[in-house]
Amino acid sequence: MTGVRINRKNIFRKLAVFFMILGPGIITGSVDNDAGGITTYSLAGAQYGYGLIWTLIPSFVVLLVIQEMNARMGIVTGKGLADLIRENAGIKITFLIFLGLLFSGIGNTTTEFAGVAGSMEVFGVSKYLSVPVVTFLVWILVVKGTYKIAERIFLVFSLSLLTYVVSAIMGKPDWHMIGTSIIHPKVEVTTKSMAMVIGLVGTTIAPWMQFYMQSTVIEKGLKMKNYNYTVADIIVGCVITVVVAFFIMVACAATLHPNGIQINEAKDAAMALKPFAGNLASQVFAFGLFIASIFSATILPLATAFFVCEAFGFEAGIDKKWDEAKEFYVLYTGILIISAGIILIPKAPLIPISLWSQVINGILLPVVLVSMMILINKKKIMGTYVNGKITNFIGWGSVVILVALSAALLILPLLSR
Amino acid sequence: MTSFTTFYLSGIIGKEAFGADGDAIGIIKDLLINTVPSGQNDPNSQLVIGVKLKIGKETGYYSFNSFRVVKAREMLNVACSSLLELKKSEIDNGMLLVENILDKQIVDLNGRKLVRVNDVRMVTLATGTFVIAVDIGIDGLLRRIGITMPIKRVLSLFKISIPTKYILWDDVQAIDFSNLNIKLSKSYAKLHTLHPSDLADILEDLGKKSSTSVFSALDEEKAADVLEELEIRAQIHIIESLPVDKVADVLEKMPADEVADILDELEDDKAELLLNEMEAESSQEVRELLEYEDDLVGSIMTTDYMSFSGTKTVEDVLKELRLRKPEPAELYNLFVTEKDEKLIGTFTLRDLVVAEPGTEINQIMKSEPVSLYDDQKTSAIAEIVSKYNLLAVPVIDQEDQLQGMVVVDDVVEDLMSERRTKKRK
Repeated sequence: MTGVRINRKNIFRKLAVFFMILGPGIITGSVDNDAGGITTYSLAGAQYGYGLIWTLIPSFVVLLVIQEMNARMGIVTGKGLADLIRENAGIKITFLIFLGLLFSGIGNTTTEFAGVAGSMEVFGVSKYLSVPVVTFLVWILVVKGTYKIAERIFLVFSLSLLTYVVSAIMGKPDWHMIGTSIIHPKVEVTTKSMAMVIGLVGTTIAPWMQFYMQSTVIEKGLKMKNYNYTVADIIVGCVITVVVAFFIMVACAATLHPNGIQINEAKDAAMALKPFAGNLASQVFAFGLFIASIFSATILPLATAFFVCEAFGFEAGIDKKWDEAKEFYVLYTGILIISAGIILIPKAPLIPISLWSQVINGILLPVVLVSMMILINKKKIMGTYVNGKITNFIGWGSVVILVALSAALLILPLLSR
Repeated sequence: MTSFTTFYLSGIIGKEAFGADGDAIGIIKDLLINTVPSGQNDPNSQLVIGVKLKIGKETGYYSFNSFRVVKAREMLNVACSSLLELKKSEIDNGMLLVENILDKQIVDLNGRKLVRVNDVRMVTLATGTFVIAVDIGIDGLLRRIGITMPIKRVLSLFKISIPTKYILWDDVQAIDFSNLNIKLSKSYAKLHTLHPSDLADILEDLGKKSSTSVFSALDEEKAADVLEELEIRAQIHIIESLPVDKVADVLEKMPADEVADILDELEDDKAELLLNEMEAESSQEVRELLEYEDDLVGSIMTTDYMSFSGTKTVEDVLKELRLRKPEPAELYNLFVTEKDEKLIGTFTLRDLVVAEPGTEINQIMKSEPVSLYDDQKTSAIAEIVSKYNLLAVPVIDQEDQLQGMVVVDDVVEDLMSERRTKKRK
């Protein structure tokens, strides 16, 4: 009797498990394609055509390896990355990492609001209207605790990122050339192209994503038993990230590059698409940018405030009241207001801001990665689930390459002066 | 010389200890404190008994009795008169302050939540060195990072002072004993003062390893209460990480309906394993409940209820209650049954208390009671509960036989969420 009943439930349960777990990787992957990412991919496509598409392949591998490590750490320990770093790395390193994370959080959120402002301008809405309204909505959404519902809605909306596929195809790209440039990448070594490569990798693998990934895994209560589902989810998430990036680059490469149009912002790309791919493509592009920007503008300040509080032992979480978690709400609101405020300053120096937040990301990423590699190889923390040889090889390899890239990012601007 | 010196743990870790002749002996790596108190409020429970010293390349544990911390011109000095190595048993019974307390999460017993330790406040008296309190404030954070002075100077311009936040050592409970062979039940003794709901909240916030070790240190009654309060995800984690026999013992102490809810979420094999391990009587009840579909009244009813024959006197019933010592929820509503367990009436504790001892239950019961059918949809409960203001509704089958009761505690969350969704519409 009992058996029959449980069996019938089993199918539903398997589906439920699947949907529950098909989460962290896909959410993280979707947040990854934020305004900063879209801008960088557009710039790369417009300036170098199909030339830099090959960078997505190593980015994909590194992203996959890093996120798998995050998921494994979250599953085994049930602790956030911020917790683990604080408990094992000492307070000074923790302080430096989170100071960096706070600044890059503000910088990145500013980029998101730039995305909101830019995309709405395509539809003819002034930034002095769109940015305050969006800021207020995002704030209410989180503080009033309807964030979980919002996350789902955003996830559905983030499917609109696939509209870039439409934009790209409308641009009638040369598929043969795309194939050739991926198989035989021609790397022009100039300071400018190097900087672009660094930007592409840096925006795909942002440091705060590692914290975000791990806490999402914990929140979903995943277990080692579900490990295979989790890996599948991560792969899907990484594929989404890379596929969207690919089509943005193709869209801009097919239309803007042959005509020699240079752009500075993602908004320019949306505007510039109009004459070549039609009004619809331009609006589709702008809509995708708008959704991606709001999605990340909701999650970034929230996540940043949360991780800082987690590391320093302040109460945090949107289920807490203002008085219970004052530091958390002050931080969250502060990040939101500062970032939105910067955008509203007439003639704000947006390009230096996005450059500097990329620089902070660049320095922070190897530090976070090294901490992760040390943590995940500790038997005391991970038990039998420490890294295998291959994961360690790719992990440390990525660290070395990223350190080299970040060092290059820091040194190149000095040399080019 | 002053009679006492207060200092912070961070102030002496990494410092050299000096011998009587003024020579450096070794670097202080950690302090060991007594964790097995002989009784309540034993001042020795916060006594520093040992120190981990790095001498040359060797690290060893030495008795702290011969050490003194003194402050001279705002400088902390650790003086040592002789080096006495500690026995293994003494080390195993102690707790390391840096390893297990500093930067770790501990339980604030008054605030009933987890806090992170930024520093530890200590004192040296004539009788020894003691832990006074843990520092969880921003002040401690800045001191550890080493930027207290510049920040204080800037803030003093605006007349802002940095808030300090201490919790007395008696009011905290360390959690992380991962690397010691301590007897856990004794180490977590202070947690027993917490309410099961608070303990459950804390367990949910802990890492996987710690939550399992704290849970397994609880006695079965407390463990059952805590398990009942945990979120389903934490319940599953605890059940899957403990041995089957231990879990079965805890489940036996829980109401059958709660057990059924948990087993429903587990995998079939595991649920079957647990049911087989449980005593036959408890597992039978659970199996019966498991047969009900999720949306039927039967799935959320409890089978722990009290029913009496109508011919019993008030005196008899009170006697039986005293004997059986039922859980509070079982007293929300008391039932009267005929032969075949047919429900014919209900009465409350109030009816019982105000009646004369010799009165028969038939006289005080409400006949034709409001009831639910076990195969009715759960959505019917809300209306009945609110319409008749009942704390517990009897559940009967199609033959009018009493099967169990639905307690308001178990449905209150569903009721609230239902109201909320209605409001949204």
